[in-house]
Amino acid sequence: MIQIRKYLGPLSKNNPVIVQVLGVCSALAVTTQLKSSVVMGISVAVVAAFSNLIISLLRNTIPSRIRIIVQLIIVAALVILVDQFLQAFFYDMSKMLSVFVGLIVTNCIIMGRLEAFALQNKPLPSLLDGLFNGIGYGLVLATVGLFRELLGKGTMWNCQVIPDSFYEMGYLNNVLMTLPPMALILIGVMIWIHRSRNKELIEEE
Amino acid sequence: MKKFSNRYIILYITVLVAVVALLLSVVSIGLQPRQEQNRNLEKMTQILQASGFKNLDREQVPALFAQVVEEMNVAQESSSELLPLYLVQHPDSTFTYVISLEGNGLWGPIWGYMAIAEDLNTVTGVVFDHKSETPGLGAEITEAGFSSQFSGKMLFDEAGNFTSIKVVKGGVLNSKIDPKHAVDAISGGTITCQSVEEMIQECAGKYVAVFKKLREEERRQAVKDRKTYYKVDN
Repeated sequence: MIQIRKYLGPLSKNNPVIVQVLGVCSALAVTTQLKSSVVMGISVAVVAAFSNLIISLLRNTIPSRIRIIVQLIIVAALVILVDQFLQAFFYDMSKMLSVFVGLIVTNCIIMGRLEAFALQNKPLPSLLDGLFNGIGYGLVLATVGLFRELLGKGTMWNCQVIPDSFYEMGYLNNVLMTLPPMALILIGVMIWIHRSRNKELIEEE
Repeated sequence: MKKFSNRYIILYITVLVAVVALLLSVVSIGLQPRQEQNRNLEKMTQILQASGFKNLDREQVPALFAQVVEEMNVAQESSSELLPLYLVQHPDSTFTYVISLEGNGLWGPIWGYMAIAEDLNTVTGVVFDHKSETPGLGAEITEAGFSSQFSGKMLFDEAGNFTSIKVVKGGVLNSKIDPKHAVDAISGGTITCQSVEEMIQECAGKYVAVFKKLREEERRQAVKDRKTYYKVDN
């Protein structure tokens, strides 16, 4: 029996975005809406999980001199698969995420987990490790996306949640929320809150 | 760590690449019909949007398109290539012509559709799209804030010469260009906006001869109509 708890680190105390500060570029770019954040999170989780699984299955056959090339081929192939799949079944989403799906290849979380985990571990643990790292990334994206969409557009999952009466009383959407700088500030606020609740993460002077 | 021979390494990477390439080709061919369908649907949606149809439902687009849009291919003067021209019938029985625009932006292709009123001069609406312009800068050409500026602009001046529509950096009001033939550019998206201007100049320019012919035909038709009208009257 595999202990799932061991793999839950990336969800909070070892989160790839707010603790390791990886994959921030795409986190700023695609989080204007909850929906695109969630789709991006799922895409990264799928790529991370399966690239970890495949590399782990191949780990004893990969010559270490060309391991980065092999990793890149596998990751790129998976990213193309995800991109093609989105284009076929979620066309609007694939247009909205545009280049950022292709840029999953360069997401440090994925290559990082391949190097640090999949090359030394058995397939099932590797699959879980990739999956939970991807989910940890997706959770942060979804949280940022939720606030940006709510405060920037007054909607949630494309449905209006702030009633018209608020707007009549003079409430305004904060357009700054839909711009990238606010995503950076929101991630900063998340790191702040996260660290204040997990004191052991604070570096000593 | 195990040591691998050079021959093993070369063989390994060759086999891996071949397997991955095969897999991707199969998937790509398998998903192509659906992707093609999506692209077609999007094209129909954009043509309808350009001509002013709002709140389109994905499911209804093909039926609506078949009902109101007539697709024509018109001959050009200078080349043998046929130009697509869409005739869109509106509920109030007016109609608009929609022409297709294609060009190159900063990072990749840009394209769009422009709806022109019955006078073959006034623009009633445009839709732009792009493959990979910079989000937040050039990519803003798809937003209503930019594209809605085009409604009411004129492609020809009073003398009937083709002026196209300029996209003016720094704002139309600060320039000497007639606001009837110009819109404001997006700050930070200069190259994409220039590309939009070039695209309209070039693609709408191809239709000038076609429009001239259509206008003449219309005039002839109008004369004919008048004659029959008088005949009936007498």
